[in-house]
Amino acid sequence: MKIDAGRSLSEFRGAPCSRREMLARSGMGFGGMALSYMLQRDRLLGGASKVAAGPSLDSRPPQFAGKARAVIQLVQTGGPSQMDLFDRKPELQRRHGQVYEVKAESFQKGSEENKLLGAHHAFRRYGKCGLELSVLLPHLGSIIDDVCLVRSMVSAHNNHTEAILMLSNGKIFPGRPTFGAWISYGLGTENQNLPAFVVLRDPDGYATSGGFMSQSGWLPALYGGTEFNTRGIAIHNLQPPPGVSAPSRKSDLDFLAKLNESHRQDYPENSELETRIRNYELAARMQLNAENVLDFTEETRATRALYGLDNSDPKTASYALRCLMARRLVEAGVRFVQVFVGDGQPWDHHANINGGLVEMCGRSDQPSAALIKDLKSRGLLDSTIVMWAGEFGRLPVSQGGSGRDHNKFAGSLWLAGGGLRQGYAHGATDDFGYKAVDKTVTVTDLFATVLHQMGIDHQRLTYPHAGRAESVTDAPVTGARVHFEMVA
Amino acid sequence: MTPFGQNVRALVQVWLGLMLSTSLALDTDQPNKHWAFQDVGSIEIPRLRGPSRARTAVDNFILARLQQAGLALAREADDLTLARRAWLDLIGLSPAPEDLKKFVEEIRSSGDRDKAYEHLVDQLLASPYFGERWGRHWLDAVGYVDVWGADETASAIRLAPGRWRYRDYVINAFNDDKPYDLFLREQIAGDEMVDWREAELFTPEIQEKLVATGFLRLAIDDTDQDVLNIPSNRYATLFDTMEIFGSSVLGLTLQCARCHSHKYDPIPQKDYYELMSFFTPALNPEKWVPFNHRVLSDIPPKIKEANDRFNESIDGQIKKLESDLGEINTRYDREKIFAAKLASLKLPESLVADTKAAVQAPVEKRNEIQKYLAGKFEAALQVRPEDTQPSAEDRRRKEILESRVAGFKSQRKVWGFIQAFYDTGEPPTNHVLVRGNFDQPGARVDPGFLTALTSGTPAPRIPSASALGRTSGRRLALADWLTQPGTPAGALIARVHVNRIWQHLFGRGIVETPGNLGRSGMAPTHPELLEWLASDFLQSGWRTKPVIRRIMLSSVYRQSSRRSDAITEAGVDPLTVDTENRLLWRMPLRRLESEIIRDSILRVSGHLDIRLGGEPVAIMMQPGGKMVVTNEEAAPNTGSFRRSVYVLGRRNYNAWILSVFDQPVVTTTCPSRLSSAVALQSLTLLNDPFLVQQARFLAERICVEAGADDDKRIEAAFWIAWGRPPTSQEKVWSSELIEKQTSTQIAGAKTPAQAGLDSYQHLCQMLLNASRFLYVE
Repeated sequence: MKIDAGRSLSEFRGAPCSRREMLARSGMGFGGMALSYMLQRDRLLGGASKVAAGPSLDSRPPQFAGKARAVIQLVQTGGPSQMDLFDRKPELQRRHGQVYEVKAESFQKGSEENKLLGAHHAFRRYGKCGLELSVLLPHLGSIIDDVCLVRSMVSAHNNHTEAILMLSNGKIFPGRPTFGAWISYGLGTENQNLPAFVVLRDPDGYATSGGFMSQSGWLPALYGGTEFNTRGIAIHNLQPPPGVSAPSRKSDLDFLAKLNESHRQDYPENSELETRIRNYELAARMQLNAENVLDFTEETRATRALYGLDNSDPKTASYALRCLMARRLVEAGVRFVQVFVGDGQPWDHHANINGGLVEMCGRSDQPSAALIKDLKSRGLLDSTIVMWAGEFGRLPVSQGGSGRDHNKFAGSLWLAGGGLRQGYAHGATDDFGYKAVDKTVTVTDLFATVLHQMGIDHQRLTYPHAGRAESVTDAPVTGARVHFEMVA
Repeated sequence: MTPFGQNVRALVQVWLGLMLSTSLALDTDQPNKHWAFQDVGSIEIPRLRGPSRARTAVDNFILARLQQAGLALAREADDLTLARRAWLDLIGLSPAPEDLKKFVEEIRSSGDRDKAYEHLVDQLLASPYFGERWGRHWLDAVGYVDVWGADETASAIRLAPGRWRYRDYVINAFNDDKPYDLFLREQIAGDEMVDWREAELFTPEIQEKLVATGFLRLAIDDTDQDVLNIPSNRYATLFDTMEIFGSSVLGLTLQCARCHSHKYDPIPQKDYYELMSFFTPALNPEKWVPFNHRVLSDIPPKIKEANDRFNESIDGQIKKLESDLGEINTRYDREKIFAAKLASLKLPESLVADTKAAVQAPVEKRNEIQKYLAGKFEAALQVRPEDTQPSAEDRRRKEILESRVAGFKSQRKVWGFIQAFYDTGEPPTNHVLVRGNFDQPGARVDPGFLTALTSGTPAPRIPSASALGRTSGRRLALADWLTQPGTPAGALIARVHVNRIWQHLFGRGIVETPGNLGRSGMAPTHPELLEWLASDFLQSGWRTKPVIRRIMLSSVYRQSSRRSDAITEAGVDPLTVDTENRLLWRMPLRRLESEIIRDSILRVSGHLDIRLGGEPVAIMMQPGGKMVVTNEEAAPNTGSFRRSVYVLGRRNYNAWILSVFDQPVVTTTCPSRLSSAVALQSLTLLNDPFLVQQARFLAERICVEAGADDDKRIEAAFWIAWGRPPTSQEKVWSSELIEKQTSTQIAGAKTPAQAGLDSYQHLCQMLLNASRFLYVE
């Protein structure tokens, strides 16, 4: 069964949401009573931030007035090529085919000749701001006046697995809480009928490291991402089995509540048991509400066309559906939505980059831009930050004549909404796009800046772990900072 | 003399006061003096003040700390609670009412509760289901999954052929209480303990030794795909193997030393690469053997070659016979006959296709031209039923041919597979890799043991003189070094193991980071107890069961978990002194692991399939995307009601009923499980067809076993599901539920009998939803 955005999810009765707390269970897990332990430590050691005492998804005020209240992360795994798409390099074009005097640090074989490879597709100016982008990105071009483009992104690793982990949690190791988990921890969520952090992946499979991109790490589990399916059934086991009437279910739940309450009284201080009791209430609320949020019947023909839901390429239509679902979730009060452009690492163009970019821009450009337009027309863009980013960029030299290898020294990404500067390009690379040379933005800088727009000081959103007050940016080690030039 | 000296008191204060979680404060200056890197000394069992409840030495350590803090053990758990706890902890299954009643009866008749309990523990330790429970713990520690590769595509299950034998090896090892040193030796170097290459026959011993090395084949390896068979991935597999080895055996985060000397532990980067050199003769990045080419047949190489030749000749025979058969079949094939008739008409080329289309079109859909063509040729082209019936002669020939094919096929030699680890050639030269980059080799290194664990002890020779067959003997030397009692290495691995045992009985290890006993791990809550357990374990010949038994017979294990059973001495509420119960003033409440929830549901429904071992039970993805264990009703005898340890394990996409209850996503290892409580669990327990089905089975069981009386049915439901009778309050609630559900059902036009069964189904399902079922008290 396939979710068709034209029909209501309530047609697909009999089942279910997926969640992905299972992601949280990497090797860094905890023993049995971790939740209450954490709760207690939190209380005892205290965080500098204004985080509620116990693990809770109740909405809470930021540390200071922030513009944004929600984030949508459009994950573009593989490493989109900056010099082909976002960062025009005349010098690179001019010296196409010549040997680059700097030995480019490659990841794989095939770049030994170190010959410069110019962009095949032309650039043009877009919008009032006149920023230059590839002709492959006309949709992004149409919203460029709303966009804050970053041309000076760097990573710490030039392999996908590590760099993607970094994009999700700030470091190249799994096990740390991801950005979405930190934001859920910091701000809770506005709709208690839905999870705070929802993950929408390609139903064909996870992105590289995708399973680890939404884990709560050592933050309490309820801050981790809950996966909603975008094909088949959005939430597993959401609806009661056939033949169970509402009054019958109510009798069951009343009975169960009594049993669980009497058990809880034997363990009065155990918050996990209380959470479990409350979960039956949340489950009932989700049953009534989640389907409305995911009911696409009320979307107009114009909206469908805007996102490209009926695109003949199934991969494009599939990503378009996830972008639309992200808008609906944010509209409903979900705090953090993580959307994957595809499974694996689809922007990874080691060969035939010209053809590959046509395909991937075809898949990513229209739905991503449509999301911005849609949010804007609903008055949601000011309070929502959309982050479009891959894990690193690519090399200016050719790999095997037609492709580019990984490059951790430079890459481009873009942000929109949430009071960020519009029609602006931040930072710059050298003449060949090999290394970021001006206003370098690390992943943790990016987090710090986004958190700032949400009213959170990244250094004061902390959680005690292993004797340290940990934060998502770990600024004392990484030197993360807010890039105020990116703020409007 | 303990390695901690006077720090013990400081530790108590740290834990009670600040709950600092690292031991950095203890020995910052001298990393080599870290407690975990010392040999086990002789530990004095603490003497206790006044009369105590100590039953075993374990209690003395716990009680001494409690006394220091002015606390006491909670009251003893009641008989039924204790029995259920023992069942779940030792074999991972809910006890049946008759088991419990037998236990209570034994206490009553003998008047000796301790003895009856000891008897129960011994029975459970001897059960074949013990290995399924405790083997699973080890399988977590080493990151066992049934698939190979990164397992990134939901719909593609790549089963590693024969890997399940390693799972069975582990289960058997725990059942047999194989000494832990031998258990590790076999897993690290089983292939070097026997000369399998020259063996005439793979004896059970040879098979077992080879299967055991499956331990070192668990790392992610996708190099069977040419595009992924590149140096970075080869090294990734090697590094992951090191990480699995470090975490599960050494209890150290070795991987940190891959790129730089360890920040916290005394592991220089050079040590990492020296240790890695033990594994490179088998995982040689320069002469890499892809994953699928490493699998061994479970017969000796020479026999396999002979078998291959034999099968080739058999296959030749079969092919010839099948071609003869095909020829006969062709003669009676409708399509072929039709084609022959069409050809015999000798129509002009341009008409052939049209004629065929005309005749094959349904009569009512034929156009004028087709009608004409059909009218003219249909009769001649008609394939009559008798045309497709073989003649008597051909029938006879077919039968003969078919029986000969079957005969040959049955002669084909078949054999199984082993995911073994073995040297694939000469040992390569090894180097330190600068910043962990494979393409930046630094200084040359030779195999060497961790310096932090070798100071002052003579290291065994490398390579091991005792290695058998054409192999470097390096891993056997490593295993020899590791498993030597009286050395820091032997002490460390013993600590890692007993700490894990404690973890699985109390929900949390004495060191809470079981995969990291290094300086960046958590400090032990009871350092001397850990030392004593390790020393006791070594003295008892590396046997696991006696350690478990000793802990379970202690008073600390047998105390109640309930708040109201905690003892407040001198007005001190233990909860305020030791909020996290690190000193164990009561038994921790623990949620059951995913497998145990599913297994216990099956057990109480009466449908658990208790067959042991073998190929994994299939899982499949439903159209809605949910992973389910293959349905017993759709595919009987597929083993879909078998224990979860046999359900096909994936890295990313496990059966929903397991993954929703925190079945881990495995990249390398899972030193401890998470126990979450999220709404999707509630939705699953309420609405998942598996739960509905099992609740139905349980209701049917109750209605049969307890007869028609409602009180007896309710009584039976609680006994079976929760292992105890209902309280009077619970009886009232249950009767009310049954009454309400029955009237709802009857209003929905069901017969009274049907409505009765349905109502009990509701009751049963709620009992399985309840925290009382999901937790072990």
